Amino acid sequence: MSDVSPLLQSAYWIVLAPVIAASAIILSYLLGIKINRTVAMGLSVGAVAYGFIHSILIFLVLRDNATPYVTNIDWFVVSNFKLAVGLLVDNLAAVMLIVVTTVSLLVQIYTHGYMREDPGYSRFYAYLSLFTASMLGLVVSTNLFQMYIFWELVGVCSYFLIGFWWYKPSAAYACLKAFVVNRVGDFGFLVGILFLLLATFGFWQAHNDQGILMFMDPSGHGVDLSGAIQWGMQHGTLTTTFLGIGALTLISILIFMGPMAKSAQVPLHVWLPDAMEGPTPISALIHAATMVAAGVYMVARAYPIWLNWTDPLHPTVVGAEGLTVVAWIGGITAFIAATIALTQFDIKRTLAWSTVSQLGYMFVGLGVGAFTGGIFHLFNHAFFKAMLFLCSGVVIHGLHGEQDMRNMGGLRKPMFWTSLCFLIGTLSISGFPGLSGFFSKDEIIVGAWDFKGYGHEILGWLMIFTAGLTAFYMFRMYLMTFCGEYRGQAHPHKDSAWSPLTTPLLVLAVPSILSGYLGCNLDVLKSFSLNPNAFSQFIHFGQHAHVEEPNHMVMLISIAVSLSGMVLAFLVYMTKALPINTWLTNAAICKPFYNLFYNKWCFDYIYEDIFLKKILLPVYTGIWNLIDMLIIDNIVNLNRTLALVAAEVLKHTENGRGQYYAMVIFACVAGITLYVWLYVR
Amino acid sequence: MGTSDILTSLLLIPFIGSIIIGLLPNKAARPLALIASGMLIVVSAYLWSNFSLDVHGMQFVQKINWINYPIPISYHVGIDGMSLCLVALTAFVTLMAVLASEKVGENRSKFYYSLVLLLTTSILGVFVSLDLVQFFVLYELELVPMYFLIAIWGGPRRDYAAMKFLLYTFLGGIFMLAGILYLYFQLNAAGVLPATFDMVELAKQAPNLTPAVQALACLGFMLAFIIKLPSFPFHTWLPDAHVEAPTPISMILAALLLKMGSYGLVRICMGFFPDVIVTYGAWIIALGCFNIVWAAIACLVQTDMKRIIAFSSVSHMGFILVGIGSLSALALNGAVFQMISHGIISAALFFLVGTVYDRVHTRNLVEIGGGLAKQMPYIFYFWMLAALANLGLPALSGFVAEALVFYGAFTSPMASVLQHPMFVRGCLAFAALGVILTAGYMLWLLKRLFYGPEQAKWAGHLTDMTLNEKVIASALSVLIIFLGIYPLWLSKKYTSLTDNMCQNIVSKNKIGMR
Repeated sequence: MSDVSPLLQSAYWIVLAPVIAASAIILSYLLGIKINRTVAMGLSVGAVAYGFIHSILIFLVLRDNATPYVTNIDWFVVSNFKLAVGLLVDNLAAVMLIVVTTVSLLVQIYTHGYMREDPGYSRFYAYLSLFTASMLGLVVSTNLFQMYIFWELVGVCSYFLIGFWWYKPSAAYACLKAFVVNRVGDFGFLVGILFLLLATFGFWQAHNDQGILMFMDPSGHGVDLSGAIQWGMQHGTLTTTFLGIGALTLISILIFMGPMAKSAQVPLHVWLPDAMEGPTPISALIHAATMVAAGVYMVARAYPIWLNWTDPLHPTVVGAEGLTVVAWIGGITAFIAATIALTQFDIKRTLAWSTVSQLGYMFVGLGVGAFTGGIFHLFNHAFFKAMLFLCSGVVIHGLHGEQDMRNMGGLRKPMFWTSLCFLIGTLSISGFPGLSGFFSKDEIIVGAWDFKGYGHEILGWLMIFTAGLTAFYMFRMYLMTFCGEYRGQAHPHKDSAWSPLTTPLLVLAVPSILSGYLGCNLDVLKSFSLNPNAFSQFIHFGQHAHVEEPNHMVMLISIAVSLSGMVLAFLVYMTKALPINTWLTNAAICKPFYNLFYNKWCFDYIYEDIFLKKILLPVYTGIWNLIDMLIIDNIVNLNRTLALVAAEVLKHTENGRGQYYAMVIFACVAGITLYVWLYVR
Repeated sequence: MGTSDILTSLLLIPFIGSIIIGLLPNKAARPLALIASGMLIVVSAYLWSNFSLDVHGMQFVQKINWINYPIPISYHVGIDGMSLCLVALTAFVTLMAVLASEKVGENRSKFYYSLVLLLTTSILGVFVSLDLVQFFVLYELELVPMYFLIAIWGGPRRDYAAMKFLLYTFLGGIFMLAGILYLYFQLNAAGVLPATFDMVELAKQAPNLTPAVQALACLGFMLAFIIKLPSFPFHTWLPDAHVEAPTPISMILAALLLKMGSYGLVRICMGFFPDVIVTYGAWIIALGCFNIVWAAIACLVQTDMKRIIAFSSVSHMGFILVGIGSLSALALNGAVFQMISHGIISAALFFLVGTVYDRVHTRNLVEIGGGLAKQMPYIFYFWMLAALANLGLPALSGFVAEALVFYGAFTSPMASVLQHPMFVRGCLAFAALGVILTAGYMLWLLKRLFYGPEQAKWAGHLTDMTLNEKVIASALSVLIIFLGIYPLWLSKKYTSLTDNMCQNIVSKNKIGMR
């Protein structure tokens, strides 16, 4: 342990620095000290910049095959139970640290330009710092309990930030919805953790010095989730079935409810598009690096829970029911969200639906066993999606708050740099060959193609088809916003390459183009003396790197589908060769589908108008009135009636004659004394 | 004055203070009350720092025999870790309540402050009493000041609320008296030892009684304490009392009076009759879980903000029942933590309800209609913190208690020996629904108070927090955050007590994990 790099040991400062920055800003506000806006920004940006540099250094240390660093302190102790919190830095955490700090740093610089005129400027920086710190804390968590803590903190920071403009009714509603929907997921997460703990409790008790639900054991004795599940399978606590479903599968599905809410998977995805009510920098941060990535990261971190443990010594991806659920939830989400994105007109909401869809891809990756591919897509997506959101922010800012794409168009001229970045992002997310999104999406599609679980015939095709939809709606966005004639009223601002608004875009454009080559599995790279598969050698599940063989057939099909999506979008929105809008409104076959997509598959309607307003609240109110008012108060009132009757009888005994009272008192005392004398002594 | 007199002086400070205030003019009342509650803080700080973690059993004990025949009654005080925490909480909340009484106390000053200090005396007395009769007398004494505090300084329906409070609690008192007498005479009849009201002795003797006798005696105490707690179906007095009580009295009511019930449950029901808890633990857990969800549902359909907070107290008291019923060291620890944590959070919430009510003069959320954040940003931020603490956000104290209770109760040794272990876990999973409901009603409350566009009717004539209010809210908030981040600071005082309690019961009944 002595040769552990001090860089790893001091990694907790990455989390603490933004906390300190936020506390300083909040305290100065509470104490009434007016601090300069620049100081607030400097504190916040400085803290995350420090985190960024430290994360890069950690990455460099770990790349040279340093052993991962784990340390724990006791947070709560009783005789037979220990809840620990700690610090875990391994390859997976290092990559996430870089993603979070990079995106957060650039978003915070961008915020300076975007929120300059907002009265809540300093407060916004405090929240941003807290948000970043919560996410970083989640990344370095050593156990599921600690992860739950930061999981909730991430959720509450998103609540602050989505509701940042509290005077907007839509924002007030959106932040409430975001938190409550997330809590639905947390409910499953909590119950899942509890059942998992119950089934493996004997194991953790036997190793009481560590703590519970650890992800990784520093001493190498296997006191971690894998060891616990192995123990549970061998001792029969995890092999029981409930309604024909294995205990572990059930637990894994319950725990997966957490990521379903946090990473916006069907059916708990409804909060994410509404979260667009927050200021745009927050949308970028939530969608790229902090909030939604948490779910994917958690599944990757606690991966053993989802595996197939039929042979306790050799857990496999094949035949894992939990993973199949993950894959299918991801696949369905990717498809549904893509269809919805086809029909939306709000620039930010369309991007939000595209995030939901891409998160679906990541879960498909994890679910089909393409562990590296899933994380790799998270990594690439963070950069280009942050960039796309920041681009949309520049557009909205430049058009004085206009978000409807029908009132845009032709913005390529006034906003050249922004349109350039947006085009790069669009190409990347559409899987255009050579850009980062292509490589990671390809790994996932190949993984889905080779998938052996339930419904394996369809999943690969579904993913390829969705890739086509992605290309279509992204180009639809690009063409509607930046090409053609300007259709709006407001006078658009010009952008420039060197402003706090546009510089972060240009910086993010670099990884959006290049980050894919880190994980490129084509041997072509070798001819440029680069190392292919660098990413999969750094991030993998299990002892050895699992390198996906490039499947050229699948690759060609998915390229063809993506390109045809792009071409179709070009024909519809640029040359207007295909009058798609008239088809949609006239053709009887298309119209129901269009309405279904446009109304977001009616999830909101079912949840709010039917479930909440027609069923839940009336039932609550009914039961409540019935029991609390009718029965309980009536019992009380019945008692009152009895008391009144008793009083009627007793009042004749209370006749005001002193001797009579004295006699009663005497009789009582005598009675008690007699009783005591007879029985008690 | 030796260390054995320290608890007596703790009781005498508010008692003498209340008499002196009654004798001096109105003007002197508030400063004197502040001095008295400040002295309480000093004494409890002394107790806190001189409390030894190595001693098992009671500390700072003082015992003076009062009556020997026919029944042995003595003045007997002493504290262990759990009482220590509650005494400290009482001193702290009393100071906060006195500080918050700036407006209420202007009306009939000396009577008001005198009653508040009398109330404090009786609460402190309950937490330090080691004689069962003394415990009972002080437990009942609290009714008198509380009745008048609600009936004189309360809202429009104060007479009804005060009477309802009095009747319910008095009913509980009768059950407890019955329990005390039954226990005493049964011990006498068993004739093993000369019977006593010494609570330390009783904790050793009572478990030797036959199960049926124990169950009946426990029932009396149990009814008294769950009325006070309060728990379904005896909870309806609480919302009424809270709604009518003035702000500082609501703070004391929620933070301290309810804790007398939970303290009694741990000290007496669990301490004297562990076998009863072993037998009926599953039902206590079920009751607690039902409380958590039921009261949370009740919160969703209310429109009066004070009623919402009152029902949320009922919901959070459910965790204490679960902690007690589970017989798990962790969950019991969480139950005690919940007493302190809920004491601080509910005091903060009721205080903040008061600050809003003082300004808008209504508690009806429909009438308020939102948008207050514009005029009172400080109140908004403190509200947000207290609301988040109430819904169990990590890093704030409410989460610690909830997490400990859930983790502890789920892995409790209890659940595995019952005929239906999955019944208990099913109840707990059901109670976890409270996680969603609590978030729903607390944030909905925040939304209906503060979010949304500014209302024209409030423009210009609402003020933000005064310095006095800021001090109170900050003090409460700092504690909420501190306990949430570093819970061991509090729990190390009483962990050995709760550990031992559960250990003894579990080993005696040979309960083990499967």
